Amino acid sequence: MTIRDRMLQASAERAQRRKAITRWQAEFPYRWDADDFVSRRELLRLAVAASGALFAATAAIVGLDYLRPTTTVSRQAIIPVSELPPGGVHYFQYPTAEDQAVLLHLPNGRFAAYSGKCTHLSCAVYYDKSRDKLLCPCHEGVFDPQTGVPVAGPPQRALPKITIRQDGTMLYAVEEAL
Amino acid sequence: MIDDRSASNDGTLHETITRVERTPPAGQAAIELTALVIGLILMGIQLWLLTVALDLYLSGSTTDSWLLAVISGLVFLGGLLMLRVERHHTRRR
Repeated sequence: MTIRDRMLQASAERAQRRKAITRWQAEFPYRWDADDFVSRRELLRLAVAASGALFAATAAIVGLDYLRPTTTVSRQAIIPVSELPPGGVHYFQYPTAEDQAVLLHLPNGRFAAYSGKCTHLSCAVYYDKSRDKLLCPCHEGVFDPQTGVPVAGPPQRALPKITIRQDGTMLYAVEEAL
Repeated sequence: MIDDRSASNDGTLHETITRVERTPPAGQAAIELTALVIGLILMGIQLWLLTVALDLYLSGSTTDSWLLAVISGLVFLGGLLMLRVERHHTRRR
């Protein structure tokens, strides 16, 4: 018997085994064409798996967002911490000498700094301690000192935020990049 | 259900797809279609959340981006809950 004959014989045996049916198939000789359909439960499982994959991808991106390190590109000294008590305000220029900015020591102990230009028509914004609001006198725009978000008047956009870092006893305005 | 069976020459009973009931029981079709549409909309929202998260990541802004993952996770948990309810419902039948 040649190698080719042996291969043919093995192939025929394999085909024979495939044709062999089990006992239950012999007793219940149904041809279920309908098995090719996707059932409702299978569709639901598929949808939940897709939903899980979308969630995992979103969580991974958000996780990466928090994990990546940032490097300080530049920083500018503003004022020593001791000179700005809680509830106090300090006006300074950042990032250039022509750009007005405002630094607040919020009652909760946090520091917040914003561009001093109103997002409506670029008038100078100031902090009104009695109302605990950032005000624009030109058109009576009002901003929340905690977030810089406009709460009244014509401004629609929040005041640009300036990142503040404390190094020792000094406060710095910093620019960070990836 | 299957109501028409015919024996062929080799003794095998054939059931063609045209004779198999593929639609849900009367009155349930609207509910299932509604569930399907709501599921598709929620998955669309998840896809949108993913693009927003990617956009925020590329722009370097991390403010409150964790909320996107939380909302997407809630939708996923809702899907898991539906799967569980469906299994429980099938077992009772």
